[in-house]
Amino acid sequence: MNRAKPHRLAIVPLLLVAGVFTAPLVTMVLTSLKTDEQIAADPHRLLPGEWQWDNYRRAVTSMPYLRYLRNSLLLCAGSVAGTLFSCSLAAYGFSRMRWPGRNLLFGLMISTMLLPWHVTMIPRFLLLRELGLYNSLGALILPTFLGDAFFIFLLRQFFLTIPEQLVEAARLDGCSEWGVFWRIMLPLSKPALATVALFQFIAAWNDFGGPLLYLSDPDRFPLAYGLEQFVSAHSTQVNLLLAASVLFTLPIVVLFFLAQRTFIRGIATTGVKG
Amino acid sequence: MTRVTPHPQARPLGRIVAALPFVGPWLVGFLALVVYPFAATLYWSFCRYDLLSPPRPVGTANYERLADELLSGGRFGQAVWNTAYYALLSVPLSIALGVSLAVILSWKVRGQAVFRTLIFLPSVVPTVAAAVVWTWLLDPKNGLVNKALSIVGLPGGGWFTSVRESLNPADWSATLTAWQAGNQALLPFGSKDGLVLMSLWGVGNFMIIYLAALGNVPKQLYEAAEIDGAGPLRRFRHITLPMLSPVIFFNLVMGIIQAVQAFTQVYIVSEGQGGPAGSTLVLSLHLFRSAFRELDMGYASAMAWTLFVLVLAVTAVLFRTSRHWVHHQGAAR
Repeated sequence: MNRAKPHRLAIVPLLLVAGVFTAPLVTMVLTSLKTDEQIAADPHRLLPGEWQWDNYRRAVTSMPYLRYLRNSLLLCAGSVAGTLFSCSLAAYGFSRMRWPGRNLLFGLMISTMLLPWHVTMIPRFLLLRELGLYNSLGALILPTFLGDAFFIFLLRQFFLTIPEQLVEAARLDGCSEWGVFWRIMLPLSKPALATVALFQFIAAWNDFGGPLLYLSDPDRFPLAYGLEQFVSAHSTQVNLLLAASVLFTLPIVVLFFLAQRTFIRGIATTGVKG
Repeated sequence: MTRVTPHPQARPLGRIVAALPFVGPWLVGFLALVVYPFAATLYWSFCRYDLLSPPRPVGTANYERLADELLSGGRFGQAVWNTAYYALLSVPLSIALGVSLAVILSWKVRGQAVFRTLIFLPSVVPTVAAAVVWTWLLDPKNGLVNKALSIVGLPGGGWFTSVRESLNPADWSATLTAWQAGNQALLPFGSKDGLVLMSLWGVGNFMIIYLAALGNVPKQLYEAAEIDGAGPLRRFRHITLPMLSPVIFFNLVMGIIQAVQAFTQVYIVSEGQGGPAGSTLVLSLHLFRSAFRELDMGYASAMAWTLFVLVLAVTAVLFRTSRHWVHHQGAAR
């Protein structure tokens, strides 16, 4: 795309668009710092009259924030571990081992990516309830130990780029399949594993439908669901709602800036994780 | 030490046994969490099932009820319309916006990386938080969006408090009639239009893929076209668009699948009710409410299968037409 040098005015549409896309975030942060009175009397003034940092304390203390946070972190850690475990194993089985039926099963797995969640929701719920996992984070973590088509596909594509000679040499040296997997594939696949871990962490942090379906006890709620409960209870106190939303969003934004490269590469090479 | 590792030459059964520990966990999940639920949902869709007593076969009653509600504009009919409206508006707009943003973000200007980051950033905001923010931004009285519209002299919309639809000509003519009579009237932007606006804010994911694809377009194509005297618009029409067509197709298919499954944002902006007056009752919310609020598992299962067949049919049609407009020699994807 590096043709003629762009016009000096090219900056104008860029500034405009960047402004429009950033405005909601700026509004979110600034409104979260306004007093109740200012929001009621003068909602359109951009800056807070007095910067009400206390809103953040009020938001955190008017819900069991630390408990929600703890649950969110447990959920994220558990599901990242589960996903890394099940998906890297399956990706190895689908890329570096030859066995009858492999291509058929792989095709079936890919087609499950297009399956709307509605079709499996009800029996899945009853099954996990039968296992005694209703009202437990386990209902959300256990399935991650049983693989996810998108992540298996992503890891398989990466495993396929690792030279076959390396694997062959290890096998000739007496390395078992486990050895090849553990000593060669995993160490060489750190970037792909990081992408998977990052995406799964974010998916678990953001998940709302899962907790809504499986959790009934507020003590077990992760932040995404706890925030929604807070929103429906305090729908008039916009500043507190937005302060709580900022606290919920901030870790993901920080993570994005820390792992920007992993992030963009993951999306650009594999499409969007829905 | 003896080696028990089967080599690629080993017997078929041995190779399956060797692969099982690796694909086993996924296979268990596939059977228990996909195949079994898939079949169970199909069976229950022909039953009356309220969780309290065992499923009781009722033939095609659930499907008849769906057909009836579809034709008479009952709740299912309303949910189909709401879902179709959301998909038909949000997907084409996200393609148009994603391509346009990618093109201007590929201009080599100072601060390019900053612009890219700022426009991508909204797409990492969690859906729950985004829904809270947009509920405030689209507040008809106090929100930023109506304020911005009023600055350019427009009356703004009712957004999440309104059942009106910007795609509905009748809603526009009602607005115009009110204006001609000298009355104040909001623009016909209602709850579903609010959801569309919110989805466009998160277009960054698709934009990144367009940007990557733009980077793969061979420069010689543009140079050759320029020598032949093609202006910027013709270069866009005859080079950029065809080269992006595989990504546009991907965006189209994934966009429709995501739009049909949209749930979290709808639940938050309507507090799980699908309101006002059912105007945001999309299929996934109606299904969730039928199953877990009204414990009507049979009806919900029939809806799930109808939805599945619909998505399958739309995807199949898209793949079929794609032969005519998607260029596969282009960007190596």
